[in-house]
Amino acid sequence: MAEDKKYTTVSIPTPLFEKIQQKIKDTGFTSVSDYVTFVLREILAHSNDNEAFSEEDEKKVKERLKSLGYLD
Amino acid sequence: MKVMVVGLDCAAPALMFDKLKDHLPNITKMTENGIYGKLRSTDPPITIPAWMVMATGRSPGEIGLYGFRSRVGNSYTQIKIPSSKDIKFDTVWDILGKRNNRSIVVAVPPTYPPKPLPGLMISDFMTPDKDKEFTYPPGLKNEILRDFPDYQFDVKFRKPEKEKIINEIYQMSDTRFKLVEKLLKEKPWDFFFMVEIGIDRLHHAFWRYIDEDHHLYEKNDMMRNKFISYFEMVDHHIGKMIEMMDDDTVMMIVSDHGAKGMKGAFAINQWLIKEGYLKLKNEKVSPGSSLDEIDVDWANTKAWAWGGYYARIFLNIKGRESQGLIDPSKVKEEISVLKEKLKNIKGPNGEEWKTIVFEPEEKYDVVNGDRSDLFVYLDDLNWRAAGTLGYETDYLLENDTGPDDAVHDYDGIYIIYRKNKRIGKKIDSSIYRVAPTILELYNVRKRYGIKGEPMEGIEYVK
Repeated sequence: MAEDKKYTTVSIPTPLFEKIQQKIKDTGFTSVSDYVTFVLREILAHSNDNEAFSEEDEKKVKERLKSLGYLD
Repeated sequence: MKVMVVGLDCAAPALMFDKLKDHLPNITKMTENGIYGKLRSTDPPITIPAWMVMATGRSPGEIGLYGFRSRVGNSYTQIKIPSSKDIKFDTVWDILGKRNNRSIVVAVPPTYPPKPLPGLMISDFMTPDKDKEFTYPPGLKNEILRDFPDYQFDVKFRKPEKEKIINEIYQMSDTRFKLVEKLLKEKPWDFFFMVEIGIDRLHHAFWRYIDEDHHLYEKNDMMRNKFISYFEMVDHHIGKMIEMMDDDTVMMIVSDHGAKGMKGAFAINQWLIKEGYLKLKNEKVSPGSSLDEIDVDWANTKAWAWGGYYARIFLNIKGRESQGLIDPSKVKEEISVLKEKLKNIKGPNGEEWKTIVFEPEEKYDVVNGDRSDLFVYLDDLNWRAAGTLGYETDYLLENDTGPDDAVHDYDGIYIIYRKNKRIGKKIDSSIYRVAPTILELYNVRKRYGIKGEPMEGIEYVK
């Protein structure tokens, strides 16, 4: 199936694999792969891939830097 | 071997090694048994770029950061604040990470937004606020705010409520050290690098209470004692970290620049107006206005400046700026004339100043990023530069954006200490040697091919 090609393999240490296997026992996760994918997606969702500062944040930081004397 | 780097922003040799010595038993023990000395900062000697020069071994020119703002394109007024995304070179924790070493990195400027690493990262004082993702991994943030709900990135010190501010600085630093001690105890790590910004804030806000030669010197025992007790708190935490060290751990205390009393702020754009370089459409300007708030006659302007602990001057060049005035063939000549004029600026009472002026190419082999045409240290950094204008005089004895007592000095400090080693050497060094020293202690410097040499005397520590 074409969809199968959307997956690839990454290596993780066997002890870690086993630890995860234990952890997901009796949970909604059916496989280590499902769990690992979920955790990685969660972490990536929190990372900021665009500009470092939003417009509002930049304004906030600029004001702070001004009050600290760095921007005169 | 493990290395712990404790960065004390703005820690000054005269205070740490001499004036406050009797109040700092742990730091003094480190100097007596380790290697220590002055640490020559970057040019310019400013938090950004200095900490990243320390972390990468690269010059400000290579990194392409020269302060807390960069110009967007060749615009007259648009600026950009540096972030972790501007750092294109590997830091020591990146290099060690590639060799499976886990790092704990706390508050090193600029590390917002935090980049992934094997280990933990908490971003620096330029983090917009606690709502943001300021840790890596993201979950660490909840742990920090649960255990240290009062955790602060920074304090605002330029306000009149002095007693309140000094208490806030104390609380902020004390909390950060407690957090760091908890992380060092509970999390696995091979390398540790933290920066405490509180000393810088303390110096700027309270220098007048400890420097009898300062023009604003105020004899106030309560404030002086509070200033000293802040340092005693820092020393106490360093003692706690030393207790956690085994014989195979090296602690480095470093600062990014030093401090000295501020003599005043010089309104550099007013001076440029008087010298005919900067033209305004309306001569009436209310005091404290910045260039982006007033109507500048850009088409007839030859140069303008940014203020701060040093001044950056930009020329208005045809073909580069949208309303450029100076013909590119005349730039060299204009620069050399302006340099001489700047060097001849005298003090408020006609006294000679030792003003240092240079083009970035004179200091750095490589000049990346947004560079101003001239860098100016007014009276050897004793006077800061005010970019704002509309004042009756060019010489402002207080700073233009609120009370401030201190400016930056070229020399910071360093101490290298390993438990149960008796070395006791004083050797002055340079900020460019910090990254090579760290990698040398992990025996990966030569393999990685980092520029620069480790500090002299490192063989005694290894």
